[in-house]
Amino acid sequence: MIFSELYSAYYNTVARIITAAFDKNTTEKDLDRIVSENAFSESVLTIMPSLKSGKWKLLDSSLKPLLKHEPTMPLTLLQKRWLKAVSLDKRVRLFDVQFPDLSDVEPLFTEDDYKVYDKYSDGDDFGDEGYIGRFRLIYYAIKNNLPIIARLNNRYGKEVTLRFFPKGFEYSEKDDKIRVIMDGCKYRQLNLGRIINCQLYTGTGRWNEKPEAIQIRELTLQINDERNALERVMLHFAHFEKQAERVDDNKYLLHLKYYATDETEIVIRVLSFGPCVKVISPDSFVGLIKERLEEQKRCGEV
Amino acid sequence: MAYSELIKNFEKIRAYMREFYIYGFKSRNEYDRKSARSYDDERRRVESWLGDYMRFTKTAEGKNVFLSVDSRTACKNPFYKAWKAKSFTDGDITLHFAVFDILCAPEIKLTLSELVDEIDSLLSGDFTFDESTLRKKLKEYTAEGIIITEKQGRKVLYSRSPDVDVSQLCDVVDFFGETAPCGVIGSFISDKLPPHEKLFTFKHHYITQALDSDIAAMLFDAMQKKSCVTVENLGRHLDKPVSVRLVPLRIYISTQNGRQHLIAYNIKLNRLFSYRLDYISDVKIGEPCERFDELREKLNAAENCMWGVNGRLDMKDTEHVEFDVRIADYEQYIVQRLEREKRCGKVEKIDDNHYRYSADVFDTTEMIPWIRTFICRITRLNFSDRAAENNFKADIEKMYEMYGIEDNTEDNTADSGGESDDIQ
Repeated sequence: MIFSELYSAYYNTVARIITAAFDKNTTEKDLDRIVSENAFSESVLTIMPSLKSGKWKLLDSSLKPLLKHEPTMPLTLLQKRWLKAVSLDKRVRLFDVQFPDLSDVEPLFTEDDYKVYDKYSDGDDFGDEGYIGRFRLIYYAIKNNLPIIARLNNRYGKEVTLRFFPKGFEYSEKDDKIRVIMDGCKYRQLNLGRIINCQLYTGTGRWNEKPEAIQIRELTLQINDERNALERVMLHFAHFEKQAERVDDNKYLLHLKYYATDETEIVIRVLSFGPCVKVISPDSFVGLIKERLEEQKRCGEV
Repeated sequence: MAYSELIKNFEKIRAYMREFYIYGFKSRNEYDRKSARSYDDERRRVESWLGDYMRFTKTAEGKNVFLSVDSRTACKNPFYKAWKAKSFTDGDITLHFAVFDILCAPEIKLTLSELVDEIDSLLSGDFTFDESTLRKKLKEYTAEGIIITEKQGRKVLYSRSPDVDVSQLCDVVDFFGETAPCGVIGSFISDKLPPHEKLFTFKHHYITQALDSDIAAMLFDAMQKKSCVTVENLGRHLDKPVSVRLVPLRIYISTQNGRQHLIAYNIKLNRLFSYRLDYISDVKIGEPCERFDELREKLNAAENCMWGVNGRLDMKDTEHVEFDVRIADYEQYIVQRLEREKRCGKVEKIDDNHYRYSADVFDTTEMIPWIRTFICRITRLNFSDRAAENNFKADIEKMYEMYGIEDNTEDNTADSGGESDDIQ
C-alpha cells in the first residue's frame, strides 16, 4: 500500500533533474549535485548514467529534456487520505492554514482507530484559543527572528516574566506538550503551556544572556536477559544514541548518551526494569539508584 | 542478480534494519537466516540510505554494524528513506514521466491508442513498449488515484486527477509526518514541497515504528471498511509466522516502550488479543464484519480496566492493584505524577504525607514497571494477584542485593529525599 516507486527517491530526483534541465544554464555538474542532494549515497552510480545512456529516455544526448513540461504528479489517494486524517486531528488548529477540499476523500484513520495509550494526561490543551494564539505568535516570531516577552507560571507556581528569541519547537509525544526552544535568555526551553500571555518584545534592553550549554552524559547498563528483558530494554531506550555489546549468553551491556537535564527521568526509567537492568557506570548514577533503594528499604513494606 | 540499492520487497530489509537499530551487537556470522551475500547486500543498502547513522565496532566475533540515532536531534525520521527505495524497470520510469507530460492538465483526456501515439511522438519512437504495458500502468495509476478513467460511449478516456494545492501545509506536514500514524506518507508529501526551514524537533520519539507503516496503513484501511483481515503473525514463541483471521479494532501506540499493538478480535478463539505490529508481516483485507461496531464498543468498555494492551470482552475476573506512597511536604509533584501517569484507577489522599493508588485491571503484570518507578516511597502493596505481589517484592530484594544495600530499617521518616525535582 505504501511501498511504491511513485514515492521513491529516484522518481523525485529524476523529476528535479528534468526540471533543472529546462534551464539552459544548467550544467551536468548541477545535475550530479541534484542526485547527491536528493537520492542515496550510491545513486550517482545509477541515475545520471541511466539518463545519459538513454536507458531512461527522458533527456537527449545534450542532457536537455525530451518532455515538454516540468514534471508534476497529482497527490495519490493514499496521500489525500492521510491528509484528511490529519485535518481531523485537534492539534491541526495550531497551524493557521486552509486545507484543500478533501470532502470526497475518506480519512485513512480517525481517532477511534488508534490510541496513544501511555501518554501523560496533563498534556497541552490544543483546543484552547489562548494557547493557539500564543503558539501562532511565537511561530511568527521564529519565522521573522523577533523577540518575545512572556508572562508565565514557573514550576513552583510563581508568576515570572521572560524575554527570549524563540528558535523552534520541541514536541514530546509522551508528555503531549510543546516546548519552545529559546535563545537570548538563560533557559534553553520553556513549556508553551506555562505561558499565560506573550507579545512581541519591542524594548531596547540588551541581550546578554545565553542558555547554558547542553550537557550530554553517558550511562552503561547491564541487561540480564530474563523475561525478554533484552528486547524490552533495547526497544525502550531505542531513541537514544547508543551502542550494545554482548558479554555472555544472557548478559549484555548498553552504553547510551542522555541529556543531563533528563537525569531524573532516566533514573526512573532504569528503575522500571527492576533487577533485569543494573547500572554499571558512572558511579554517580549508581549512587542515584542506591539512594532510592535505601529509601525504599526504610519504607518497610519491601 | 547485480546489486542495486533499490529493493522490490520491503520485508527483508525491515528485519535487518530492526536488528541493526534495536540490537546492533550481532556479527555478520550470526545473520544466519539468509546467506552471507544477502547480509552484505542489505548492509550495503542500509549504509547507502542511512550512512550518517551507521556505526561499526570490532569484537572478537568480527565486525558489528549498528544504527545509532538520537531521535531528538533529527527533524525527519531517517528510516523513512527505506520506504523511498522501491525498485522499478526502465520502462516504468520512462512511461511514468511521459504519461504525466502528455496528460499535463486535467482537461486533457485521451484514449489508450491516442496516448500510445503521443508517447511515440514525444520520445521520437525510440522507446519501445506495448499497449498492454501502458494499459496495466494506467490501471495501476487509477487505483492510486492519480489517473481518472471515464467512459465516453465505447471509448475509455484517461486524464490526470486534479492537483491539490498543499503548498501552505509545509509545517503541518512536518509536524504530523513525525507525530501522526503512518507519518511516512507525510514525508512523501513533504518531498514535493519547496525547501523550507524545519521548526519542530521531537522528544521521546520512537522512529522504529516507521518500519511498520505499511502494516498500520493496511490495518487502518481494514478498520475504515469495518472488515476482517488475515495476517501473518510471528508470535514471540513461534519459529515461523502463522495465519490468523481477525477483526482489527484499534492500534495501540506506546510513547514509552516503542511498541505498537493491534488489538483485534480473534475469530477462531472468540476473544480479544493484542498483536505486535512489528511481528505482523502480511495483511490481507477480507469481507466486512457485521459485528465490528459491537466489538469496538466492547473494547471501549474494556479500556476502563486496561493498563496496557491486554483486554478482554468480558469484564469479570479483573485483578485489584493497590499501593501507597509517602511524600514529603514539598513533594506534591509526586501526587501530580500519579494523577497524570495513571491510565485507569484512582488516587486518594490518606493523610498529608500518604497517598493511595488503586485500580481494577485485567493484567497486574502490565503495571509493574510503572509501580517500580515509585521505588523509594512505596509503603504498602496490596495486589489481589498474590504471585505478582510476591514477585514484585522478590525483585526489589534482588535489587538490594545487586547494589549491596544493607539492612537498615530503623529510620522510617516521611521525608523521602528521593526525587529532588519533578520530571518534565
